[in-house]
Amino acid sequence: MWRYLTGRVLQTVLSMLVVISIVFFLTRLSGNPVHLLLDVNATERDQQILMHHLGLDKPLPVQYGIYVTNIFLGDLGNSVLTRRPVVEHIWERLPATVELGLVGMVLSVLIGVPLGMYSAVHRGSALDTGARVFAVLGQSMPAFWLGLMLILFFGVVLGVLPAGGRGGPLHLILPAFTLGYFTSAAIMRLTRSAMLEVLGSDYIKFARLKGLHEQVVLWKHGLKNALLPVVTFAVMLFVQFLGGAVVTETVFAWPGLGRLILESITTRDYPIVQAGVLVLSALYLTGNLLVDLLYSYLNPRIRHARS
Amino acid sequence: MRHLLLRIALALFLLLTSLGTIVALLWAPTAASGQAARPEAPARRSETPAGRSETPVGTLTVAVATFGNERWLPHLYVGAEDVVLKPLWENLLSRDGKGNLIPMLAEKWQVADGGRTWKFHLRKGVRFHNGTEVTAEDVRFTFASIAREGSANSMAPEFRMIKSMEVEGSHTITVRFDKPFVTLGNRVTQGLFASVAYIQSKKHIEAGEDGAERRPVGTGPWKFVEHVHGDHIVYEAVENHWRATPHFKRLVFLKVPEPATRMAMLRAGSADVIEIGGEYVDELKKVGMRTLTMPNTAAIWVILGGQWPTKPTYDPKVPWAQPDAERARKVRVALNLAVDKKAIIERVLGGVGTAVGTVNYYPTDPWISDALLKPIPYDPARAKVLLTEAGYPNGFEVTMNLTAWPGRGFLPDVGEAVATYWEKIGLKVKRRPVDRAVFSADFRARSYAGVALAYAGPIIAPEPWELFARIAQTKSAVHLLVEHPRLDAFIERLGAEPSAAERTRIMREEMGPWLYEYMPAVSIGATHSIAGIGPKVGEWPLIPGHMGVHNWEYVTRK
Repeated sequence: MWRYLTGRVLQTVLSMLVVISIVFFLTRLSGNPVHLLLDVNATERDQQILMHHLGLDKPLPVQYGIYVTNIFLGDLGNSVLTRRPVVEHIWERLPATVELGLVGMVLSVLIGVPLGMYSAVHRGSALDTGARVFAVLGQSMPAFWLGLMLILFFGVVLGVLPAGGRGGPLHLILPAFTLGYFTSAAIMRLTRSAMLEVLGSDYIKFARLKGLHEQVVLWKHGLKNALLPVVTFAVMLFVQFLGGAVVTETVFAWPGLGRLILESITTRDYPIVQAGVLVLSALYLTGNLLVDLLYSYLNPRIRHARS
Repeated sequence: MRHLLLRIALALFLLLTSLGTIVALLWAPTAASGQAARPEAPARRSETPAGRSETPVGTLTVAVATFGNERWLPHLYVGAEDVVLKPLWENLLSRDGKGNLIPMLAEKWQVADGGRTWKFHLRKGVRFHNGTEVTAEDVRFTFASIAREGSANSMAPEFRMIKSMEVEGSHTITVRFDKPFVTLGNRVTQGLFASVAYIQSKKHIEAGEDGAERRPVGTGPWKFVEHVHGDHIVYEAVENHWRATPHFKRLVFLKVPEPATRMAMLRAGSADVIEIGGEYVDELKKVGMRTLTMPNTAAIWVILGGQWPTKPTYDPKVPWAQPDAERARKVRVALNLAVDKKAIIERVLGGVGTAVGTVNYYPTDPWISDALLKPIPYDPARAKVLLTEAGYPNGFEVTMNLTAWPGRGFLPDVGEAVATYWEKIGLKVKRRPVDRAVFSADFRARSYAGVALAYAGPIIAPEPWELFARIAQTKSAVHLLVEHPRLDAFIERLGAEPSAAERTRIMREEMGPWLYEYMPAVSIGATHSIAGIGPKVGEWPLIPGHMGVHNWEYVTRK
């Protein structure tokens, strides 16, 4: 187990190093931020001074070496645009992203799991068909379009919910639903197929033969076993929400991490892009690692196969 | 054992998600650690406030596409932040409703030595929001900060031409130049877009730049309350302000990059003012919302790259810049005749603009004439004839860069439309979407010979030669139009001419006709800035030619 654990941790660290290296070199291919920071009529001298100040006048390998060293020293650098520490920017935006991600994920689970379960139990019924339509719609509707439609209906036509921005709980409803709807459809399908598999297993038949109440069979014996892949998916989903909610954050003017990274890409704010990707990849890879370890721990067959 | 672990994992997961929801819901109103709550936009359509009173009341919420660099020190903001910075600060001068320079922090000023010496007499008793009085030392400090090495301020090159600054008493400053600077007044005015020579508090900034960045103070009618990067900026009205006490108590800027969301926010009452492009004007009218039009605020033209014969990157094979001046001109005229400017203004710019025949001349300028105003006609047949005469009967290959600029997101669409028109006369146009950051390097290096792109020059200075001095003079740092000894001579001459009347004559009778005849670019016309406004907003006096929403302190409540 320890050997496996060490191997996975090393793999994770290596993956992160590869990710930050790719991001480091790709961002530098996209243009010089100095051209955006200075006015068009700024002199060569102004450019040189700013390049020096930002450390961009050094050879690329030197910049890379400094960057990696600083990461290990816990220094993610300063924003090119605002010249404030990148960590401040990340911390400023992370709460909004976590808030939206959490609520979006809870909504997905609360919608997807019961729907998937009942769809499996009442297979072939009108409810099952309706749920599958719901799933298809959820997975085929672009978040951008759905978000705008929700804004128009609830914000403009009915006037009951805010059209954008971050504020009270009401501001969370539309972006969280937009974020959660797509994934709730995926969770619903996952739950449905897992439940169908579980419901056909011998121990469920045995439970029914024992005379257990149907609700107990479904909730205690059925859902509990069907939920393992769903839980795994939901955890990974949450991590994905942290960085992958760019579209939703943009449509709803939500000041989250995804939007920060997107804006930083357009302004060539290398340190923020690098730090943002680093944080997100760390979260993603750590989440992946934890899920792997959990799986390995829970399922001895996986552990033995790996060792 | 396995079931037990599963049960624990499931319980933990459900517990955490439930807790997370509760925490998030409780957390949202007050926002998170280290970040102040975004000012809550009204969830429902806002109620129309009661009639006007002396005391500022209510909140004016404004949704804008960008905050620019989000910097608060004079050497760090560039100019594009104009809309969100202007409420806080003031310049020495401003412009009235007719575009004339008028006093602001300086109550009077004198120009001597043919524009080499400018003396400003400051208004007494004007205070920064921290209570200290504005003095001539603050002006000297501000100008020196703008000019300092590495400054990002768009006016740095011009302020570096200052030879000396002499402070006489506490409220008079004399600024001297080696060469005449006849339009310094246009650099220190509040009444133009990107006029970022705001007078800053020396004492406040010298106490610590970091503190001044986080809590800026100015003399404007609005004082700083809060700034969350990339999200919102909040100002509060200064009661009994020396110049204009705002009608609204709070002014809140929200950064909303998506135009459709800004539109929805305006309709829902979550925003009272939105920045919007001309393409949304019809939609706004359809849903009964009003628009605020700032007419003729940017001139659009299509740059024909390569017109820099003295530079090493000059390519004599570029059809519109070839050494044979007559053939090159025929090509440029053909490229102009091939484009239906009025159709572009109607269909691409939503009708918010006026076709103009002379590059960077506006319909309302005192130096415009009917002949200069007249757009080059749409005549593709004549364009083909001219191309043949120039030696290109089968057209030629050209690259059209599709590059968006801040606040001018329509430019790639204009470029696309022009490319389509050019194809109709036989040109083979290769579209190349390029980011501004990438292309900016080409501007400086003059490395885009044979490439065309649509550009819109905002009025950062009222007289056309002032913009040419920055972007079209042979010695300019960048090139965005043409380098030509005649244009250089006009710029030099106008820059040294202290008489405004004589400059007007030169621009109308000499420079304008030369530009119209030479046709260095495809002149599309002048476009307007548009804002959508909600039911709370009453009267809104504007400064002519000022791009972007401004004059927040004069906006009345309905």
